[in-house]
Amino acid sequence: MLKKRIIPKFLIRNGKLVKGVRFHENFREAGNPVSTAKVYDAYGVDELLFVDIDATPQGRAATGSIIERVSEEVFMPFTVGGGIRSLEQIADLLNSGADKVCINTSAVENPAFIKEAASRFGDQCIVVGIDYQRQGDGTQRVVSRCGHQVSEHDPVEWALRMQDAHAGEIMLCSIDRDGTMEGYDVDMIARVADQLEVPLIASSGAGTLQHCKDALEAGASAITISSMFLFSDHSPIKVRTYLATNGVSVRSQKGSHS
Amino acid sequence: MIAIVEYGMGNVRSLRNAFEYIGEDVIVTADPGELEDADRIVLPGVGAFGDAMAAIAERGLEPVLQRQVLELKKPVLGVCLGMQLIARSSVEHGEHRGLGWIDAEILRLEVPRPLKVPHVGWNAISFDPADPLFDGIKAGEANFYFVHSFHMVCHHRADLIATANYGIDVTAVVRSGNITATQFHPEKSQDNGLTLLRNWVESTPC
Repeated sequence: MLKKRIIPKFLIRNGKLVKGVRFHENFREAGNPVSTAKVYDAYGVDELLFVDIDATPQGRAATGSIIERVSEEVFMPFTVGGGIRSLEQIADLLNSGADKVCINTSAVENPAFIKEAASRFGDQCIVVGIDYQRQGDGTQRVVSRCGHQVSEHDPVEWALRMQDAHAGEIMLCSIDRDGTMEGYDVDMIARVADQLEVPLIASSGAGTLQHCKDALEAGASAITISSMFLFSDHSPIKVRTYLATNGVSVRSQKGSHS
Repeated sequence: MIAIVEYGMGNVRSLRNAFEYIGEDVIVTADPGELEDADRIVLPGVGAFGDAMAAIAERGLEPVLQRQVLELKKPVLGVCLGMQLIARSSVEHGEHRGLGWIDAEILRLEVPRPLKVPHVGWNAISFDPADPLFDGIKAGEANFYFVHSFHMVCHHRADLIATANYGIDVTAVVRSGNITATQFHPEKSQDNGLTLLRNWVESTPC
């Protein structure tokens, strides 16, 4: 049976891990990416996600050197995102050891890029990240450029459109919940997961063990966790044990080097 | 020495790192001479089947691979798309001929809802615990990392060494003589993956 995945999400800025709230507030430093990746590998998390949050604003792609160093030490899957807008950048990141790339802004600005990338590298390699936020009129809208550019797209329709463009997975991130630790947007997760044929990764809002269970039971194939791991005493082992004892199918073994 | 075939398709760095981690000499090469000198060959691969076969053809690699694997019976390990390439054919984006080292075909993965495709993540495999390829890997907790939308259907039951359940039985490991291949990524499967790679390196083909 396929296991539900627990994925720590690491935001990288100037080569360091950081974590903020709602994308722009209260950035705190959270350590060295490579040594932190090793720690989480030993915890036996299922994947790692790195997002270079300076990449889009600075007009460059996520840095490969951190990825290369991670791939020397950690024998588990990882996904890299941040500022990716060309096939060459994807090829470089995969050659650095990444298994998948996460594309967000350039999917909004050039949807044809997703199809192009999927046909070159395979659907399974392309994760489309969808950030969305509630607008003044009450609608939810897809937002790109690290929370700066509001689009006209509805997140559910956009997820289906990205699936049609051959995205291998969809990652949904509610900007309103990012870093709040108040729980995932379970309604949106359920609506999208119900219609998608590709796996859905739920992101942003985890604060308690119950939140993790809620998102997975709503239909997410995987959850990302950031603040809860960095700033609370909930370790991946605790999350996994809680999920397993509450009937969610998760992996029980330890990671590498154990 | 282990030679990982470099043909521009996929994550060869992780495979190389994994073999180095378990203490093996490993090179990444498309050079026929180096492939001839190697004791073992690894055929990696991520991406589309047709593109991969075209990339192998473009580099003129098929004759040297056929000779090393089929005539000289050198141990070879196919990983992920590298496993699919050793089948006779694939229907991924059109009909394609494969290397044909295993009597099998590659079909689209069709699973009952609400299961998703691609099959992404950690799935447990079933295998014969007496098989030395799985020495030190606990049955029941043998999770490996899969990521694929097409799968191999073997024509000979004897070639099928391990399966994963995903609505249907998905081919996870195949073996025929000196040829072994995994649909999952051992280099991304933490301890279980490293153990399997070590077992493969220590195995003598029958």
